[in-house]
Amino acid sequence: MANLDLFDPVEEPEGKSESFPPASSGDETDAGSPPEPTIWTVSQLNQAVRTLLEESLPPLWVSGEVANWKRAGSGHCYFTLKDESAQLRCVMWRGDASRLPMDPEEGMRIRTFGQLTLYEARGDFQLVARQLEGEEGEGLWRLAFEKLRKRLGDEGLLAPERKRPLPRFPQAIGVVTSLTGAALHDILTVLRRRAPWLRVLVAGTRVQGEGAALEIARAVDRLGGSGKVDLLIVGRGGGSIEDLWAFNEEPVARALASCPVPVVSAVGHEVDVTISDLVADLRAPTPSAAAEAVAPDKEEILRYLRGAGERLARGLRRGVDVQSRTLSKARSELRRAGNRMMEPRRRSLTLAHGALARLGRGLLEPRQRMLASLRVELARGVRALQRRRRDTLSRLVGTMDALSPLSTLRRGYAVPLDDGGRLLRTVRDFAAGLEFDLRVVDGKVRCESLGTRNDEVTGEQ
Amino acid sequence: MSSERSEIGGAGAPSLEARLRRLEEIVAQLEMEELELDRALALFEEGVGHVKEAEATLAAAELKVEELLGEGDADETRPLDDEDEG
Repeated sequence: MANLDLFDPVEEPEGKSESFPPASSGDETDAGSPPEPTIWTVSQLNQAVRTLLEESLPPLWVSGEVANWKRAGSGHCYFTLKDESAQLRCVMWRGDASRLPMDPEEGMRIRTFGQLTLYEARGDFQLVARQLEGEEGEGLWRLAFEKLRKRLGDEGLLAPERKRPLPRFPQAIGVVTSLTGAALHDILTVLRRRAPWLRVLVAGTRVQGEGAALEIARAVDRLGGSGKVDLLIVGRGGGSIEDLWAFNEEPVARALASCPVPVVSAVGHEVDVTISDLVADLRAPTPSAAAEAVAPDKEEILRYLRGAGERLARGLRRGVDVQSRTLSKARSELRRAGNRMMEPRRRSLTLAHGALARLGRGLLEPRQRMLASLRVELARGVRALQRRRRDTLSRLVGTMDALSPLSTLRRGYAVPLDDGGRLLRTVRDFAAGLEFDLRVVDGKVRCESLGTRNDEVTGEQ
Repeated sequence: MSSERSEIGGAGAPSLEARLRRLEEIVAQLEMEELELDRALALFEEGVGHVKEAEATLAAAELKVEELLGEGDADETRPLDDEDEG
């Protein structure tokens, strides 16, 4: 589309066409007949436009949202920068792209500095980006740093409790840094002064530029895992954030985190903290400071040794004193221990005594009370029983009196009894010729049955 | 690991670090524990020996700097004489 628009200016005045000679001749420009149109080749035109673009617009900053970021196998990066209504095709060549700490994310608002040009082969209008940073100027550096910090933090690799103490008297110290840098020189100078008995093992690496991070990580793995050193110093002298970037990269962070011996980070810089600083067991502000931190001071040890001689002598004297004191202390301890052992037993005996008495009282009292009340109830019961018996008796006497046949006999009735003393009650009991007694009030009358007659009215009673 | 390297002081003698650690133990024992007299005396003598040897080590030592060589060299090291004080 852009190509079409660009046709407009070249169709116009001749003044310009002098600088971009067209293919056709300009001989007939003044002829009466309509002038022959100037015919350009595509290459000529694109070259002309490219020159136009590059000469008329100096390198500039442009901001927008990143879209379709692509890092090609060649290392070149291609992307589109856009706002609400327009887009711009951009390219960043490998050299510049390799200095980026990370690829920007889709939709990220950035600003980039570069030269506008025309890619002649395709007629594409594009920006060749040289620098690229976040819109707030914080840059991809900050973003990449924070992302890695968060990831490592989430994994717990930055936790304070992971920090290991440094050995107090290391014997061999590993240093991972550039063999030619000031950092190594500074470290060795300090160690030579403070702790010349140490052995120092150096793994030389590049400390900046592409691939430096992997080299550092590898050196940390090898030296840390060699079993030859008690701790590591990993670092370099000061520099720009780009120079220090290897110490903000994940491979270095992970190598430090998994290093079997404690690590001191020593990246020479004032304000910014690096990821290595956060992961290391100790952060030293400079390589010299790292050396100070890991090496015990020779003078200090000499002072300690002098002190130790005196303490040994005091300790020995104390040993003798202690022995005699121990003896007398033991004697009184023994006595006290005896008392201590007796006392609780005596106390518990008294306690048991009291408890027993209380227990006895507790057991007896309710029983005694129960017994007393039982006794009262029993007496009451007995009295009630006697009274009931008396009542029953008199009632029985009355009843018996009423039922007694004597009173009936006394009123003139008689009772027939057979020889067995059984009562003869109906005519059926009186067989003809039966002899029986008739009981009357004052004796018996001997009788004989002469015959019987049924009497329906009376019947049985 | 440290026992593996304790020969650095040379000729089988304990390293400075080992001496200092042992010395600390001895002092602590003499100061804190209640020892039999024979034992205290033996510790005292051992301690004094370490003090003397350690002082001698400090007086004589010179920093040994080596470089860890490439992986092809099977983690071998070679002396690194980098420094001409400057």
